[in-house]
Amino acid sequence: MTAVSVRDLSFSWKRNEPATLEILEWQVQNGETLLLRGPSGSGKSTLLSLLAGINSPQKGELSLFGTPLSKLSGRQRDRFRADNIGYIFQQFNLLPYLSALDNALLACQFSSIRKERIAKAGETPEASAHNMLKRLGLSESQIQQPAHSLSVGQQQRVAAARALLGAPPLLIADEPTSALDAEHRDSFIQLLLELSAKNDTTVIFVTHDAALSRYFDSHVELNDLNKAGVTA
Amino acid sequence: MIKLAIKSLLNRRASVLLTVIAIAVSVTLLLAVERTREQVQTNFANTVSGTDLIIGARTSQIQLLLSSVFHIGSMTNNMSWEAFDDIRSRPAVEWAVPISLGDSVGGLPVVATTKDYFKHFRYGSKQSLTFAAGDAFHDEKQVVLGAEAASKLNKKVGNDITIAHGSGGISFSEHDEHPLTVVGILKRTGTPVDQTILTSLTSLEVIHGGESRDKHDHGDSHAHPPAESISAALLGLKAKPLALRLQRQINTYKPEPLTALLPGMTLQELWKTLRVFEQALTVISSMVVLIGLLGMLTIMLASLRERRREMAVLRAVGAGPGTVFGLLVSEALLLTVVAAASGLALLYLLEWSLAGVIQSQTGIVLSFAWPTVAEWWRLGLVVATGFVLSLIPAWRAYRQSLADGLTVKV
Repeated sequence: MTAVSVRDLSFSWKRNEPATLEILEWQVQNGETLLLRGPSGSGKSTLLSLLAGINSPQKGELSLFGTPLSKLSGRQRDRFRADNIGYIFQQFNLLPYLSALDNALLACQFSSIRKERIAKAGETPEASAHNMLKRLGLSESQIQQPAHSLSVGQQQRVAAARALLGAPPLLIADEPTSALDAEHRDSFIQLLLELSAKNDTTVIFVTHDAALSRYFDSHVELNDLNKAGVTA
Repeated sequence: MIKLAIKSLLNRRASVLLTVIAIAVSVTLLLAVERTREQVQTNFANTVSGTDLIIGARTSQIQLLLSSVFHIGSMTNNMSWEAFDDIRSRPAVEWAVPISLGDSVGGLPVVATTKDYFKHFRYGSKQSLTFAAGDAFHDEKQVVLGAEAASKLNKKVGNDITIAHGSGGISFSEHDEHPLTVVGILKRTGTPVDQTILTSLTSLEVIHGGESRDKHDHGDSHAHPPAESISAALLGLKAKPLALRLQRQINTYKPEPLTALLPGMTLQELWKTLRVFEQALTVISSMVVLIGLLGMLTIMLASLRERRREMAVLRAVGAGPGTVFGLLVSEALLLTVVAAASGLALLYLLEWSLAGVIQSQTGIVLSFAWPTVAEWWRLGLVVATGFVLSLIPAWRAYRQSLADGLTVKV
């Protein structure tokens, strides 16, 4: 099964404006880890907002795991995202007033399917989140600390725990290492990929740093993918 | 989601707390206006519960009522004893108690009356006066004190007191040569009676220079009137429906100009004239509540900018824009409900701490009742207004999270 399947997709932010994003054909295989590189202005955030189901393409087809997102309503896309996609931002991933544990548990707040997956593995959401955070290197006391008191690197780990809790089939990471130094960056990526591989999670990792491509199965340049603005 | 709202509010506790305080105080004000009105009205109604008709010299009904029963203001004219005697002998009248006012002890009013006062005066739900100590006065050298008067003057049964002329606090013409003995102290009634010093009409005459009838040793037994004139009289009728007819008869009394009033109706008239002020107070306090709620609106709108990332995080884990909307509305609702509840608590706290002062200053006894329907309505309106106002930031957050999605450019 393909994780991501795109055909003749076209999207513009405003009606009657030239498309920001046009993709003729693109597929990501299930379980594949993919590095998506693109300079700013290449339609990166547009593509991510379409993949996450925040926005819907005006034309063409976008399916995730066989579900055509373009045919779902806004509310259904929100549900779909809650159940199937783990998302990590560049930074500011957490609600500052919740503890690290509660932040990780947010993943289950809007998705009963994630809770079910955890239950099937014989765990409670709390225990699962706790294990995940420990796995990502947070100490017992850090797990209970409010998120705003954690360092940036620790915050990104909590974000990773939240994204991976309940084993979503797709993980989208939008430059999650840009705020980390080189040493933390590499260990973060390795840990992220290791945990994803356990659940056979498909990973789309967005970065501007092509040097990271050695960690991933494949490497896609967004400029090659996006035909918008290219005159035939 | 409520849990999330609570934690988010706690995170901003400084500004949230200030807003809650502002709204709570304004709610207290709003409720206090209503409660004062209601308590004053029941208190006044309680005081005249057993009296069918009050008569006095020609004056306005409200003035007669206020001065005769509540000792507010003073009476300028008296009615003659002859007129009182004539009216009380009418067949419709069951009982009549004369009262004479104008003197005071330490700022407390002296009510000169007859022993019938203790027999016929009714307060609250038609309760009669009872003695905490001692008994009614029997001659002109004795007085009975209301509960509050006894504690204010620090007098017990057996103590002497001196009566001053005039109703001011300090008088230059104290009737020093006529000390009176306290023979009884009344139980607390929660009416102006608590503040009064009750004595017999004859003792007042003696004080004011009339001769004592005890020392009056001529042999015949013709009845002397106890006083030349009186300030007012309380009447009880054999049948209530007679009140209106008797009132008309007294108001058109030929020998001298008199006024008769039905206490209940006159009180209603009084409340009607005061309603404008009461409404003005209600409007003002409502405005204060609105200002408090606008304060909440301000901090919510101001916080939206810094909370855009928070909204994006929620959207990333699957919250729809509707959830973001709901989150803000529930935050505002939570805040107003807590503020309204604290306002109510503050009201009871104020009532409890000020009850003593209010009673000794005004004779009004505050009762600690559950909120009335009118008060629940006011509380409900506050929360409803808070809810409606919260739709503004909620709508903005909704639009914002639709536009931002997961990419916040701050």
